[in-house]
Amino acid sequence: MSQVLQKTRLAALLVATLSLHVFAADSARQIVDESQKRTQAKSQRYEGLLQVFDAKGKISDKRWTLERLGSHGQSKAVLRFTAPAEVKGVALLIVNHPDRASDQWMWTPGIERDRRIALQDRSTRFFGTDFSFEDLEERDVDQYEYQLLGEEAIDGASCWKIQSTPRVAKGSQYTRSLVWIRQDNYTFARIESFIKDQVVRRLNYSNIQNVQGIWTARQLEMADLRRGSRTRLTLDKLEYNVALKEEDFTLQAIRRP
Amino acid sequence: MKWRRPIGIALVASLVCSGATPTAAQALSQRGFAESRVTLFPQEAPPDEERAVLDLMAREEVFVKPAAWLQFAAGLDLRQNTHDQVDNSWHVDFTDRGTMRPAISVRRLSATIARGPFTVDLGKQFIRWGKADIVTPTDRFAPRDFLNVIDTEYLGVTAARGVAQFGAHTIDAVWSRFTPSRVPLINQRWAPQPATPIPITVAGSEAVFPDGSQVGLRYSHVARRAEYSLSVFDGFNHLPNIEAVAAPQPGAVTLVRSYPTMRSYGGDVAVPTPWFTVKGEAAYSSSDTPATDDYVLYVIQLERLSGEWNFSGGYAGEVVTARRAVATFAPDRGLTRAIVARAGYTIDSNRRLAVEGAVRQDGQGFYSKVEYSQARGQHWRATLSGIVIAGSPDDFLGQYDRNSHVGVALRYSF
Repeated sequence: MSQVLQKTRLAALLVATLSLHVFAADSARQIVDESQKRTQAKSQRYEGLLQVFDAKGKISDKRWTLERLGSHGQSKAVLRFTAPAEVKGVALLIVNHPDRASDQWMWTPGIERDRRIALQDRSTRFFGTDFSFEDLEERDVDQYEYQLLGEEAIDGASCWKIQSTPRVAKGSQYTRSLVWIRQDNYTFARIESFIKDQVVRRLNYSNIQNVQGIWTARQLEMADLRRGSRTRLTLDKLEYNVALKEEDFTLQAIRRP
Repeated sequence: MKWRRPIGIALVASLVCSGATPTAAQALSQRGFAESRVTLFPQEAPPDEERAVLDLMAREEVFVKPAAWLQFAAGLDLRQNTHDQVDNSWHVDFTDRGTMRPAISVRRLSATIARGPFTVDLGKQFIRWGKADIVTPTDRFAPRDFLNVIDTEYLGVTAARGVAQFGAHTIDAVWSRFTPSRVPLINQRWAPQPATPIPITVAGSEAVFPDGSQVGLRYSHVARRAEYSLSVFDGFNHLPNIEAVAAPQPGAVTLVRSYPTMRSYGGDVAVPTPWFTVKGEAAYSSSDTPATDDYVLYVIQLERLSGEWNFSGGYAGEVVTARRAVATFAPDRGLTRAIVARAGYTIDSNRRLAVEGAVRQDGQGFYSKVEYSQARGQHWRATLSGIVIAGSPDDFLGQYDRNSHVGVALRYSF
């Protein structure tokens, strides 16, 4: 009798654990999904100031403009450097896909040529910043598995702590990421990205403001923990739902400054 | 040259405008630089005894977008040089047909009209075809300045270009006026020298430019696993055949450059693999001009970005299907039958190191370049380079074995 009871208890515990696990996965996905829904916009434009702090504390500034048509896995973006003067006109076209990694092409005016950035090259730092090419793409919620790990406060704000793992392992340089999502407005507060068990990049979001009804971090700071450097991106002149055309997001369009 | 003055006025106007409001909501943008470069050659190279050369250059490019569908581009180069490589007449050069570099030249002057999937570029512009580096067999609308054979720069072409892009498919059609590549000056160290000295004097050089125009068509397709292009070109080789014609002086010749017809069929492909991107490019070129070869140029190269490194390297080959040429200046073919490679390392956000080289498969020619550059602040960059050339006198690279040099350049970008 006691053996039956023990087995029953064990089965119940197993079912409960599995249920909790499934619930945690479901709720984690729902949180990320909700976060993604709240940042949906037809388009976006901003001017970014990038301050690169190297390991010795030296600072170099860069500026780019970003225009994005659509949101998340359905979007296209053109990122164009405006400073320093020697890289003016360098542009990156990012075509995101809902079910796979993005396609990326870089236009270099100095040699008047575009070049496709292959998937295996996306771990490279983007123009001396601490963002890699992969960090610049937007991926859809369905490209990851999620697990809710608990709750933690970031900069005094309560957050859900969620682990995301890419469904197609070869599609990302990162083995997994930890994502903190604020409970008050569903914005991202922090992402830590891992290669195997080592955290290699940490992205902190701050100065969160409501812009045209969308809660948006106006400052992002990416730290490359292996190099000891970091890049702070400040979003100026941020607008959503601006009038942009599909034909401005082609290889022909990025040739034109 | 009736149009020199309007071009000059248009450029002055555009340059004045560029100083007005550079941040006017993308309607107006500019980029430019001023650069001084010192090149030091450890060895003399008869007949050129000059071992130190100073180049000064300023470039300004302005882009005006009066409407979303329309853009004008204008660019001007100003040059000076201590070694008679710049033509000091003060006219604004548009055609790039002189033997020397012009003191003032229009780098680009074009209008771009973009409507839906269609883009039309009219005027002096840059057109680059192909995917390979160092040797690009299908890049037929891209003449270069070979005054210094190793450090080259592309020249704009006067052309009408129409591009239609439908999803992953692109058709590119070009009509162009002929623009030659600029070849080394005959009395200077980069002029090709015969392997064995010939007891004649070169009295001068002249060029015979073709009258006709050039056309080209290219189809490109971007697929998920690969991208490729097919192209056809019908026009003239921008690199010349050279004929020695008896000059009036006894024992002297004049070198006459003529530009043979060329019909070229080519293609390029890029296939990313988990380790490298594999790129291939090839073109078959034929000519109905006498004393001109028919040949295939091809390149197979691997490319990779990793961490702070970028690398591309491969093999450039040539197959001559009909050998008829007597004398040519053909650096594109001179760099074939060779292993070519380029690597770069980004030290930090301001400093970078690059190495490139070519080794002929028969070991008769070798070229290597190492370049270190460092930026300071938002505007300054200093570049230090060292180039080693070695080989046999009858090899394209080897003939320049007295031209190894070091260079220091200081650039202010604005």
